[in-house]
Amino acid sequence: MTSETLADAPPELEGAQSVVPEGTDLVEWYYENGFSDGFPVAPPTPEKVAAIVAALGGEPDHIEARVPPRWGNLTREVMAVNMVMAGCKPAYAPVVRAGMLALCSTAFNLNGVQATTHMAAPLLVVNGPIRNEIGMNAGHNVFGPGNRANATIGRAVRMILLNVGGGWPGDLDKSTLGSPAKYTYCIAENEELGFIAPYHVEKGFTEEDSTVFVMPAEPPHSVTNHVADDPEGILDSIVSAMSTIAHNNAVSAGHCAVVLGPEHAKVMAARRWTRRDIRHYLWYQATNTFGDVAFQHRYGKVYNRSLPKWYKRDLDARIPVAPTPDHIHLFCAGGEAGRFSAFIPGWGHMASPVLRELNGAAPAGGGMTCEDGTCYV
Amino acid sequence: MPLDKPNSGHVVYDPRGIVQATAIPLGKRVEDLNGLRLGVLSNKKWNGNKLLRKTQAILEDEFDFAAAHFYEKESFSKNADPGLLGDIIAENDVVLTAIGD
Repeated sequence: MTSETLADAPPELEGAQSVVPEGTDLVEWYYENGFSDGFPVAPPTPEKVAAIVAALGGEPDHIEARVPPRWGNLTREVMAVNMVMAGCKPAYAPVVRAGMLALCSTAFNLNGVQATTHMAAPLLVVNGPIRNEIGMNAGHNVFGPGNRANATIGRAVRMILLNVGGGWPGDLDKSTLGSPAKYTYCIAENEELGFIAPYHVEKGFTEEDSTVFVMPAEPPHSVTNHVADDPEGILDSIVSAMSTIAHNNAVSAGHCAVVLGPEHAKVMAARRWTRRDIRHYLWYQATNTFGDVAFQHRYGKVYNRSLPKWYKRDLDARIPVAPTPDHIHLFCAGGEAGRFSAFIPGWGHMASPVLRELNGAAPAGGGMTCEDGTCYV
Repeated sequence: MPLDKPNSGHVVYDPRGIVQATAIPLGKRVEDLNGLRLGVLSNKKWNGNKLLRKTQAILEDEFDFAAAHFYEKESFSKNADPGLLGDIIAENDVVLTAIGD
């Protein structure tokens, strides 16, 4: 290396830390230096930072990852500083670290996700015992406010993407619209209801393993169905949400997610529909015509090389929204009252979701490509 | 490294982390395109592709290139494959690329 500098550092900061006079409004200080996501941050103290560094295993200068597109070094101390600023407890550290390692794996293509004009934000879904150990919400209002772990883990990830990754709007983040999910986007799966097997178990982990799933995603699209009492009827509503030409999956293929609300999932379980059945149904039924995604060639003849080669290009050919059933990532989450589910479009073929066990263990059941603790799903 | 708690004042932190970078100098600018091998790299975006095709045609009308090669990234939103970059370096003297969404 020929240089090692605090790039862009305000002049008063000559290192990772400095001292400001007694009486300084620290919340305003972090605003003034451009270190906030827009909300007030919790000013880090040496004690709080040290507690999180200890939870990460000590060694504050240990580099966990380099975060694109700025490619800042994410040391344990830097991770801890951002976690404190986001409001995290030390107990959340393994989840934030696993999430960041997953996001910084090659397959996820965080460089592209951060810089894209699309509105994608990394969605984190947590499975396993860690959910309850740190008090995550998998029930009512699972995507909404009110739970410290969900809110601040997602916020810490965003703070790191901003501060270390440099994904500031209009600078390295070129998103046209952005989305509310760019503030925080972290949920836990509702495993306790038992209507479908936990996501990570389907992928080969055990129920005793704790994992973090990451996928670049749009915010959830609500799917309402208060009428159907069979899987097909409920899933047809989800198929309807999927079968549009407006989201990136329609024109760029790739991965997406479906979150079954418990009342809908209960119907699946009552009819003994498995995860595999549900994913295959959605894959088989959720389609557009090629003519729809090609705008009927109104603006010039379209082949669309972002879609798989094996799709027919006849205007009336029906093409799937997801290339395979494995491109649909299925979860159960939310409260037990209300017949709602959600479809979550992804970013497209340009990124792969990643599943990571908190300590980087590979799944005992195999079935995925895992490299250095990161499994590509 | 952690600071000792100050007797007065507050410790504040820079949350950005250090950027480690290796300086790479720009290649020597060419003075004449005639006789050189032209490489054109498209990121496969709809408008960028059209811009490059037309620009290549204009350049080939104006200059007498020894060869012209057109390359495409696997995906517009992914880094170019290192093997592709190696091919471009080996097979060309000058390279043209564009961003067009």
